[in-house]
Amino acid sequence: MITVQNVSKRYGKFLAIDNISLAVNSGELTVLLGPNGAGKSTLIKSICGLLRYQGTITVDGFDNRSTQAKRILGYVPEMSVLFPALTVYEHLEFIARAYRLHGWAPLADELLKRFELDDKRQKLGKELSKGMQQKVSVCCALLTKPKAVILDEPLVGLDPHGIREIKAVIADLKHDGCALLISTHMIESMEENWDATYILKEGKIAAVCKRGELPRGKTLEDIYFAITEGGIAE
Amino acid sequence: MTPLIYLVRKSVKNTVKSILKSPGKLALWLITVAMIAGTVVVSLFTSANRAPGAIAPLFWFTGILFLFITLFVGTSVSKGLSGGDTIFEMSDVNLLFCSPVNPRKILLYGIVKMAKTAFLAGFFILFQATSLANFGVDYGGVLLTFAGYMLSMMTLLTVSLVIYSATNGKPRRKLAVKIITIALFVPLAVFAILQYLKTGDALATLKSVITSPFLAFIPVAGWTASGVTALISGHTGAGFLWLGANALLLVVMIAYILLSNPDYYEDVLVATETAYEKKRAVAEGNINAANASRRVVKVARTGIPYAGAASIFGKHVRESFRENRFGLLTLPSVLIAVGGIILAVIFADISILLFSLPWAQIFLIGTGRGLKDLYSHYIYMIPESSFKKIVWSNMEIIARTLIENVLMFGIAGLILRANILYIAVCIVVYTLFSYLLLGVNYAIMRYTGADVSSGMLLLIYYFAVILIIAPGVALAVIIGSITGGETAFFLGLFILSAWELLAGTVCFMLSRGVLHNCDMAMMKTK
Repeated sequence: MITVQNVSKRYGKFLAIDNISLAVNSGELTVLLGPNGAGKSTLIKSICGLLRYQGTITVDGFDNRSTQAKRILGYVPEMSVLFPALTVYEHLEFIARAYRLHGWAPLADELLKRFELDDKRQKLGKELSKGMQQKVSVCCALLTKPKAVILDEPLVGLDPHGIREIKAVIADLKHDGCALLISTHMIESMEENWDATYILKEGKIAAVCKRGELPRGKTLEDIYFAITEGGIAE
Repeated sequence: MTPLIYLVRKSVKNTVKSILKSPGKLALWLITVAMIAGTVVVSLFTSANRAPGAIAPLFWFTGILFLFITLFVGTSVSKGLSGGDTIFEMSDVNLLFCSPVNPRKILLYGIVKMAKTAFLAGFFILFQATSLANFGVDYGGVLLTFAGYMLSMMTLLTVSLVIYSATNGKPRRKLAVKIITIALFVPLAVFAILQYLKTGDALATLKSVITSPFLAFIPVAGWTASGVTALISGHTGAGFLWLGANALLLVVMIAYILLSNPDYYEDVLVATETAYEKKRAVAEGNINAANASRRVVKVARTGIPYAGAASIFGKHVRESFRENRFGLLTLPSVLIAVGGIILAVIFADISILLFSLPWAQIFLIGTGRGLKDLYSHYIYMIPESSFKKIVWSNMEIIARTLIENVLMFGIAGLILRANILYIAVCIVVYTLFSYLLLGVNYAIMRYTGADVSSGMLLLIYYFAVILIIAPGVALAVIIGSITGGETAFFLGLFILSAWELLAGTVCFMLSRGVLHNCDMAMMKTK
């Protein structure tokens, strides 16, 4: 569903991501791990078409900047950005109208209930806490019923209920055949559902781990620290 | 060496070092200094060559300065009643407030920082030599205006802090402050009404109001306007008296804080935290949070009209009507329109606005929601064509500019009984100038990806606008002067508007694909 081929991104002289290739298939959860500055957010923004890059990125076979790709891609940014003067419900209405969705209201209601935002639908963006803003951001991304969802640090700032719901939503999306790409620092949070993990270091893929192919007695965390802190993964 | 002196010394030293190390910042400062020097030189020539009849009476200057500072009086009182004003930074709260340094000394340190803020806030006055020369004010007068403005800003910052300290959690006191503030202006308003009833002449009334003692007695705004005017006119005694009153109020307010409430930390905390949150939002590139006002908004009508790219305009309209008291018009745009009308009436010609207001418009165009949308991901990810999204996301600022211009030129033109065609041409020229500014903004975004510091971006934008508009202005002046006669001015304006349309369109064409083929804009504060 998401294909990244030989993608590099430079900021002036600084090479933020260096010739990265990866693929995320439908019904798969792919995790991006890496220390701060490894290039995870840059890669995600490139996939979402928010940055210029060298290489090729497609979503369901369409160029990631095409309207066809945008229509089936959902994105939850690292820092939720809401419009201060729009209500929670108007954020969803705006997305529905911008994407020309039909019959979206029942799904909007369901998402608001699921994330305990039902009683906040008339609250303005600027009146929400960071955690609630993050939940609205997730609702906006899911309202379009995307075939591929990219989440950049989705659990940061959420309360325990929010974390549980996001994890449940991720499991549901995966079950429904959605391709998921998630960047996180919380390795254990994706332990139950991950299929593939790419460990990034200094803009490059330092290791690719597939579920069921980990060395005996090793966890994802062991491999991560072995790579990022100078050791050698077995 | 006390820690506070160390802090001030190191901060100044590191600021200078960072400017010297950054070519962009250094260029910005050098250009600013060169521009101030250029303004001084130009003002010397323009003052010397100005015919006595071409100089507007000085009382208009008093009125404008009074109005300008009155705006800040309102803002300060309002801030004082809500969260106080910002004189400290979060680093001061976290490191200094918790340290065993005497709170009184910390307050003095805050006042030094406040002076720096006031100095930077009034910097634009130093560029106003040409405008102020219209009132016969030389560069010495400009410096006096700058000093008076700085003093009033420092006083108002302290007044705001005192109001917060005295009224926090006390609704009755808040009400009392509101009543007192309004009461200060009541004598002037009553005097104005009586004068108008007596003379029936709006301009004569305005003149007698500005020169009346009722204006001069209004704290801070009246004192500063009258004091600066008196010093410019050579009435040193009166000048020092009014500005001295201002300085005395500042000293009394500081003394009040020091003697009555050395435990002022809590009073400055809310404003400092709010300012810090905004700074952090800017640093993180969250322009929406950075621009969010603290004003409580009552949600009445809801919903987003239109579909596809047009929904961006629908969203902007909903946001504007919710955030602004005047619908699509913002408070600054209303103030500029009112100021423009007054300026046109003073000089008895609406075309003066075409020469004096574009400088403000260069910066005000950035307040449009379309340009701000470039800093968040939504507009990039909406599955519509880049062109449609750009068009619809700028409808709000175009509509706002058009309404502003129709009101400003229309009302001023009606008062001055100007030709309808003349008013229409002025509206077209000024509106197309905004169109050109938008085009330049997008072209710069397209080619820099906003991947430079905000200072450098501003510099590039400023010079790009001057370079792009210059041929149009030159062409208009040359052809106008060759043609001569009554039609020359109309022809010149027509050529200028055609150039603005052409250049703006070229800029938009150059910026094609800005939403699909360039990096999402990021705010760079350094």
